[in-house]
Amino acid sequence: MDVKLVLFGIFLLFCSSHAVLENEAETLVLLDNLAIRETHSIFFKSLSDRGFKLTYKLADDPSLVLSKYGEYLYKNLIIFAPSVEEFGGDINVDKLTQFLDDGGNVLVTGNSNSGDALREFASECGFEFDEEGSSVIDHLNYDVSDAGDHTTILTTSKNLINSQSIVGKRDSVNPMFYKGTSIIADKENPLILQILNGHSSSYSYNPNSQISSYPHGVGKGTVLIAALQARNNARAVFSGSLYFFSDEAFTQSAQFAQNEKFFKKSGNQDVATALSKWVFGETGRLRVAEVSHHKEGENKPPSFYTIIEPVVFKIKVEELSGNTWKPFQTDDIQLEFVRIDPFVRTTLKKVGTTGVYQANFKIPDVYGVYQFKVDYDRTGFTHLYSTTQVSVRPLEHTQYERFIPSAFPYYISAFSMMIGVFVFSFVFLHMNDEPGSKDEKKSKDDKKSQ
Amino acid sequence: MVVDIKQVVTKFYDDYNASTSKKLKVVDTYLGFILLTGIIQFVYCCIVGTFPFNSFLSGFISTVSCFVLGVCLRLQSNPENKSIFQGISPERGFADFIFAHVILHLVVFNFIG
Repeated sequence: MDVKLVLFGIFLLFCSSHAVLENEAETLVLLDNLAIRETHSIFFKSLSDRGFKLTYKLADDPSLVLSKYGEYLYKNLIIFAPSVEEFGGDINVDKLTQFLDDGGNVLVTGNSNSGDALREFASECGFEFDEEGSSVIDHLNYDVSDAGDHTTILTTSKNLINSQSIVGKRDSVNPMFYKGTSIIADKENPLILQILNGHSSSYSYNPNSQISSYPHGVGKGTVLIAALQARNNARAVFSGSLYFFSDEAFTQSAQFAQNEKFFKKSGNQDVATALSKWVFGETGRLRVAEVSHHKEGENKPPSFYTIIEPVVFKIKVEELSGNTWKPFQTDDIQLEFVRIDPFVRTTLKKVGTTGVYQANFKIPDVYGVYQFKVDYDRTGFTHLYSTTQVSVRPLEHTQYERFIPSAFPYYISAFSMMIGVFVFSFVFLHMNDEPGSKDEKKSKDDKKSQ
Repeated sequence: MVVDIKQVVTKFYDDYNASTSKKLKVVDTYLGFILLTGIIQFVYCCIVGTFPFNSFLSGFISTVSCFVLGVCLRLQSNPENKSIFQGISPERGFADFIFAHVILHLVVFNFIG
């Protein structure tokens, strides 16, 4: 074997082991007990295969630290500890909220008996786990393996959110196992996404007690997995079921107990993998790589624009794919040319496949300070926001249109006034000499008559 | 009624012909020419629209100002008003008239576009 070939092979291996950006690989995994590491090994393995550096800790470990000297030790946090009542060490709900505020990503799973720590953190993010002891029950869509409570439910891909960057290819996903509580999501909150809902026949209640009050989650309003993408693009996913991510749910075959439809493999693994890619920022991340604007026919931005000038605006948008930024392909990015209100709103046209989007438009006939504004907010993608300020000044005195045909009568009149004065003054002065005596006479006559 | 008006007009015309000096008649002719130009411009503007508004303004204002200046000259050169304009000779009055016109037309020329 050639040495070079071997080296190249090692290089390739090295590359492929870093599917995630290196500075975002540090991940802290908080567990109820170390057995969860084994029962959810497939999920964790897929993460470490993609380059995440997982640090497993018990949730009540007294040595837990999230940050040191003001720097976070981890970019991502997985909390697979539903029953934790209080985190150990340095971590508490305030610290977790601060972690999210500072851009960290969090994946949280609860179950039917979620602890207070998780409940508090969830309510900080605009969610609520359903009451203690309650489970999502579906008497029509449960798996054959169910023990009789109908709490091992199957939910199909049509209940997934329609966003490829969050859940992958939605239509090819098999039914998914779910065993746990439901999440109550704040409907008013625009930052919250409902990722997985129950069937219309599902509801959330304590399976061992008679229903005496209206359940918190009913029908399609039963939220199973929900997410929050904060304004700083930090992401948090809350799942009411730890079981959803387990090896058992990944590998088991699914069969509806009622209509006996059989699926060799559940859709859990596909969705869990896609979801973990999204929540830890591997997919659905956009950035503005380059913004340029100039007058038509030039290629450098001027220090100012003049009204009604044609202008060209270009923006390069990139999407994170693996650990490299690649051109982002879409056709619905809009540009606004804003002076308090948008004066121009136009769809940017794609230029080739380089991720460059371009708009040509004419600056409005109003001067002032404007902004080129691109505000692209789509489900499953980070919020793309770019503003560039430019000033637009009125026409110079010499730039106005001259010798307009419709203004010729005015020109003629103005000139005729000038000529008129000229001719008139000649006549007037000339008459002063000759008939001046007459005038005098006349005035004398007038005086006499008076 | 109509006869009365006719009488008034003819009386006025006759008086004007008889008692107005030739010099003032020239001024009156000049004023009439200005008035006509101004009216034509205004009508044109009403029909065509105000698009080169600065041109319209300068054209129209030049006629208005010329008219005002003409009237001033007429007042000053009318011998009947001599008592009001004491100490201002007709030559001085005409020089003022020309001076005002120079400034007016400079402004108009600048503004007409």
